[in-house]
Amino acid sequence: MGRSHVGLWILTAVACVAMLIATWMALVGAPSAAGLTVDETYAQRIIYFHVPCAWLSMLAFFVTLVGSVGYLITSKSKWDNLAVSSAELGIVFTVAATASGAIWAKPAWNVWWTWDPRLTTYTVLFLLYVGYFMLRSAMDDPARRARFAAVYGIFAFLSVPITFMSIRWWRTIHPVLLDAENFGLSAGMRPAFFFGIIAFTLLYVTLLAHRVRLEGLREEVDDLKESLAY
Amino acid sequence: MAFMIAAYLVIWLAVFVFVFSMLRRERGLESEIAALKEVAGEKPTG
Repeated sequence: MGRSHVGLWILTAVACVAMLIATWMALVGAPSAAGLTVDETYAQRIIYFHVPCAWLSMLAFFVTLVGSVGYLITSKSKWDNLAVSSAELGIVFTVAATASGAIWAKPAWNVWWTWDPRLTTYTVLFLLYVGYFMLRSAMDDPARRARFAAVYGIFAFLSVPITFMSIRWWRTIHPVLLDAENFGLSAGMRPAFFFGIIAFTLLYVTLLAHRVRLEGLREEVDDLKESLAY
Repeated sequence: MAFMIAAYLVIWLAVFVFVFSMLRRERGLESEIAALKEVAGEKPTG
């Protein structure tokens, strides 16, 4: 087992422990919100995982942008591997953030879904990155696929700042946590909130490392097939 | 409380589905590499 392989498994173990601690802090450690109904009080704890998921979806798509720019500059497949790996994780965290947000919305807004600017722009963002994978799957030549996907990945990223700013630009019922004093959280809630963000970021880095390794294996298969003239 | 449990389950489920799909793909690729290396070893050179 190589040193990088051992490092990856240590990182995986640390991320798992951090996620378990984050779950405990979110469900047990953080105090309950005051002045809410019983359902709202429990649902408020969803933010400890919902916000990190939303943050990671945007971080993941930013890394896809970096990978896309890197590929267009260098034409090295490692940048394309990074871009596609991160885009896949971005999709996973977008689904997790959307689903957990809808579950929070039911007791808070009395509806599962509404076409609020944040929810609408987030849906567009999700569909744009689904399109990223549809584009990739439509091309067989690896270099052509990587080049087209890189250009698409750069333009698709435009939806990320629009989604982030949507709750500041347009009338919305979505909470604006970052602009609120102390993120709108009491002193007792903040450790769970920030530890959740750190733990999830660690989870993202770990999953990204594993996913990039998977792309390396896929490349090895392609190389072997080429050498055997398949 | 049901809302809170449902939200946490959905997030964990999304992560686990992704991890299991990665493991499945990794296993598939590793067995494909082994098979291709075996074929490459059998193939006469020159």
